[in-house]
Amino acid sequence: MDNNFLVIENISKSFGDNKVLENINLNISKSEFFGLLGSSGSGKTTLLRILGGFEKPDTGRVMLDGTDITNLEPFERPLNYMFQSYALFPHLNVFNNLAFGIKENFTQKEIEINVRNIAELLSIEHLLNRRIKQLSGGEQQRVALGRCLIKKPKLLLLDEPLAALDKKLRSKTQLELTTLQKKLKITFVFVTHDQEEAMSLSDRMAIMKNGLILECSSPEEIYENPKSLYTANFIGIANIIEIYKKGENFYSDDLGINFKLNKELKNTKTNILLRPEKIKIQSINNLKTSSFNSFSGEILEKSYLGSFTRYEIKIKNMIISVLDQNFNSNSNYNFPKGEKVICSWESESIKVLED
Amino acid sequence: MKNKLFEKYFVFSPYFWLVLFFFIPLAIIFKISISVSEWGMPPYQDIFLFDNGFKINTTFENYVYIFSDYYYIGSFVNSLILALISTFFCLLIGFPLAFYIATSNIRLRNILLVLVVIPFWSSFLLRVYAWKIILQNNGILNVILLNLGITSEPLQLLYNQYAVIMGIVYTYLPLMILPLYGYLNKFDLNLIEASKDLGLNRIKTFFKVILPLSVPGIVAGSLLVFIPVVGEFIIPEMLGGSDRLYYGKILWEEFFVNRNWPGASALAFSGIIILVLPIVIFQILYSHWSQKNEI
Repeated sequence: MDNNFLVIENISKSFGDNKVLENINLNISKSEFFGLLGSSGSGKTTLLRILGGFEKPDTGRVMLDGTDITNLEPFERPLNYMFQSYALFPHLNVFNNLAFGIKENFTQKEIEINVRNIAELLSIEHLLNRRIKQLSGGEQQRVALGRCLIKKPKLLLLDEPLAALDKKLRSKTQLELTTLQKKLKITFVFVTHDQEEAMSLSDRMAIMKNGLILECSSPEEIYENPKSLYTANFIGIANIIEIYKKGENFYSDDLGINFKLNKELKNTKTNILLRPEKIKIQSINNLKTSSFNSFSGEILEKSYLGSFTRYEIKIKNMIISVLDQNFNSNSNYNFPKGEKVICSWESESIKVLED
Repeated sequence: MKNKLFEKYFVFSPYFWLVLFFFIPLAIIFKISISVSEWGMPPYQDIFLFDNGFKINTTFENYVYIFSDYYYIGSFVNSLILALISTFFCLLIGFPLAFYIATSNIRLRNILLVLVVIPFWSSFLLRVYAWKIILQNNGILNVILLNLGITSEPLQLLYNQYAVIMGIVYTYLPLMILPLYGYLNKFDLNLIEASKDLGLNRIKTFFKVILPLSVPGIVAGSLLVFIPVVGEFIIPEMLGGSDRLYYGKILWEEFFVNRNWPGASALAFSGIIILVLPIVIFQILYSHWSQKNEI
C-alpha cells in the first residue's frame, strides 16, 4: 500500500499567541479511512482546515499524491471538504446543490447523468427538486456528501460528519459511510470528538491533544495498547492503577494487592491499565483468593446494559469498573449489590502506561 | 385584559403612524391639488361651496397643466435618473464595505459601525456645506491639484450634476450600508468556503453564492436610498447648477416662489403615486419570489 498518498510534514499553526498545532507529521495511505480524534481545542479542526486550504500553516507542507498543495487555493485542490453544518446553498434546490461543483466543466446532459448517478448512490433521487430547508438532517447530510463526491475528489475531508444527526440515525449512517468509502476507494480523513465514532469508522486514527498527536494507530491497537495515560482514559472505560516495585513483584497501595507483570519496567513506579471487560468476576464461594492478579471486593453499584452488566466494585481505597458479559439468561448469574466477589485477570491483560 | 389591549395597540401602532403621518397629509395634498387656484390666502378656493345652494368646486386643470408641460415631467425624469445613478454608486461602494464590516471580528466591527454612523451626529446641512467648501474654485481640492501641478487653473467642480451625485452618495451611503450589514451579518461564511472548495474562484463565488443570497439586503438598502433621493431638494440646491432641474427644486419653487399651491400639490401627489405604486407592486412580487425561494 502506498503509504505516502497524503503526507503532512512539520505543520505548525498559531493564532496570535495561541499555538494550535505543533509540528504535526502524518502519513496517510490511499483509500484509507483516517480519523482525527480529540476534545475541543485539540487542533483537529484546524488541521483539517489546513488540508482543505482554508487556513495556511505557519510552517511545514502538505503533499497529496506527490504534489505539494500547501500554497494552493481551496478551489485549486483536488479534494473536497464536508462541513459540520453541511453549508448547503439555501437558494438552490438539491439538484443544483449537487451540480454546483461540476456546472463549470460539464455539458447540461453530463450534469444530469452525474447528478442522477450520485443521487442513486446515496438514495436521494426522490429529493432532487426539494429545497434545502425541506430536508431532514440525515437527508441534508447525504446531499452534502453527494455534492463533494460528484467531483470525484482524491481526498474527502469530513468535519464531524455525524455530529448533527440523532443517535439512532448516527449508527446507521456510520455503517453506510464505511461501506460507501470501501466501495469508492476514496481516501477519507475525518474529525470527531466522539471516540465511538472514531473507533467504528477509522482504519487508523490519531489522538490529538493541545496541538500534538499523541498516538496514531489502528483503533484496536489504541484501545488495547495505549501508550499514554491520556489515551487510555480518553478511549473507552479505563481502570488506572498506580503500582510500585516491591521486592520481586509490584504492589498497589490503593488496592492492597500484588501484581505480577510479564515484562521488565524502566521505572520503579508506574501506572497500569486494566480494561473492565478483561476482569473476570466470580462468586467468593467458588474460589480462594490467590495472592497475585486477583482481589476480593464488594459490589457498590450495578447497571444492567443488556448484553453486559457494569459493576463498580470497591476494593480498599479504590473503585474498579468491571464489564461482565451476560452469557446466560439466568438471572442468578448477575451479582446483587453489596455482594462480595472475587475479581481476577490474566497477566497479559495488564497494560503498562510508561508515559 | 389590560395586557391584551396593550398588545392590540402595540401591533397597530405602525398603522396609526402611517395614517397620521402619511394618509392624512396625503389626503390634504390631494384636496388642494383638485382645488381651483386663487390669489389670496390660502391661495386656493374651497372645494365645497354653499353660496347658492351646495356646489362642488373641483378641477383637474392642475394635473392637465403639469402633465402637458415637459418642464415638470422632465424634472421628475431627471430626479429618477439621479436616484438610479446614486443608488447604483451607493451599492457599489456600500456592498464591499458592509461585507467587510460583517465579516470582521467583533471589536473592529463595532469601531467600523460607529464610523459609519458618526456623520449622522453632525448637521446634514453643515456636511453638505463642507463639500461646497472643499469643491469650490479656491477650495482645498483645487489648491492641492494646483500645487501638485496637475492642473494649471482651478477646475469647476461645483454646481454640476456630478457634484450632486457625489453629495448624495456621500450623504446616503450609511442608509445603504446599515441594512446591508444587518443582512450580511447573518451570512454563513461556510457557504463561501464551500463554494471555493467546490472549485469556484472568488469572482464566481461572489456571483453564484454571495450576491444571490444578499438580494433581500440589497433591496432594502436600495429602496432606502432611492425613494428619498427622488425628492431630494437640499443637495441639488447647494451643490447643483442650472444644468439640470430636479423634482424637489421644482416642487419648492411651485409652492413658495409661484405660490401655486394646487399645481404644486398636483405635482407632489403625482410624484408619490408614480413612485409608490411600482414599489408596492415590486414588493408584492418580491415577497412572493423570496417566499418561493426561501431566502
